[in-house]
Amino acid sequence: MTTTTTTIPTIQASPEEIYDIELEHSLLEANAKLAKENRAVLDRRGITAIDFMGAIGSGKTTLISRLVEKLKPKIGVAVFNGDASVSTDYDKVAGQDVPVVQIATVNGCHLDANLVGKALKKIDLGKTGLIFIENIGNLICPAEFPLGSKARVVVVSVTEGPYMVKKHPHMFLGAEIVVINKTDLAEAMGVSIEELTRDVHTLNPAIKVIPVSCKTRAGVEEVASALLAI
Amino acid sequence: MHEFSLATQIMESVLEFAQAQGAGEVLKVRLRVGELACVEEEQLRFCFHSITRETVMEKAELEIEPCAAVVHCLHCNYEGPPKYWEGAIAGTLVPTLQCPRCSRGADAVKGHEFEIKSVQFIHSTPSHSTA
Repeated sequence: MTTTTTTIPTIQASPEEIYDIELEHSLLEANAKLAKENRAVLDRRGITAIDFMGAIGSGKTTLISRLVEKLKPKIGVAVFNGDASVSTDYDKVAGQDVPVVQIATVNGCHLDANLVGKALKKIDLGKTGLIFIENIGNLICPAEFPLGSKARVVVVSVTEGPYMVKKHPHMFLGAEIVVINKTDLAEAMGVSIEELTRDVHTLNPAIKVIPVSCKTRAGVEEVASALLAI
Repeated sequence: MHEFSLATQIMESVLEFAQAQGAGEVLKVRLRVGELACVEEEQLRFCFHSITRETVMEKAELEIEPCAAVVHCLHCNYEGPPKYWEGAIAGTLVPTLQCPRCSRGADAVKGHEFEIKSVQFIHSTPSHSTA
């Protein structure tokens, strides 16, 4: 092979010499940067995106479905469904005649800003005022991966037991609204909504806690108003 | 279990860096991990050592420097360590965003770090050119 490096001034390190180089490389920065870009795209068009987080079965999809029902007549709504592989949630919301994008993470345990950025290109932003982003049913991972949303909603349900908040404190540190779902089952479950609320406020006093029953639709109106006020 | 994807990110960044530096073997990777970063150290170590096999960093030591959380309260202007939740049932201390001074909502200004601080390596020697 011909050498072309002879003209370049090079300092040759002696073999086996140990180097210790400061990198100061943030591993979350790439995602944070993309999240900011998503946010800028949304802000420019006056679109509000809301990120929904919560365990599998807490009622994220049903809540989104109820909110779509409520808000569709007032504002252009789109829904991004994050799911590892299945499309059952997508099918549920797609029946409501609003733009829905399924974001399959395959084996990923959280959505990231890159995937959300791609989803934003799939909808007509000109006709959209509000985007609901349903994160993967996971209470730990998504916390450190902002997507570009304006607010984060954590959905917990009384069927997850009385220690739900105590067991997953991290998720509540970065949220603005907590929905306590399935309140119609609170008594049967022996779970105190007041105690769950107190736990949330112990972690983060600035959070708005809204008890909801997606089944009876109690509290859904309050969530809708809270989201419109963001 | 996002430790796996975090470990993958560390590996990709370090391998790219190592290649650019002409590193023969990475000896140590130092991380800075914030108290609020949601990273489980043991799992991260396990994932890190599992995925770096058969790379120039397979023998690298993973050094984790913890980074304490700092909160700032817009209500009373407190800035300092967070209040910890004594009633939490987690095995470790649970930091909260409750202002230790006025009990209202505070913001986390430090504690979300997840960074590669530095990389220690040796250069490759011409005789040591195994795949």
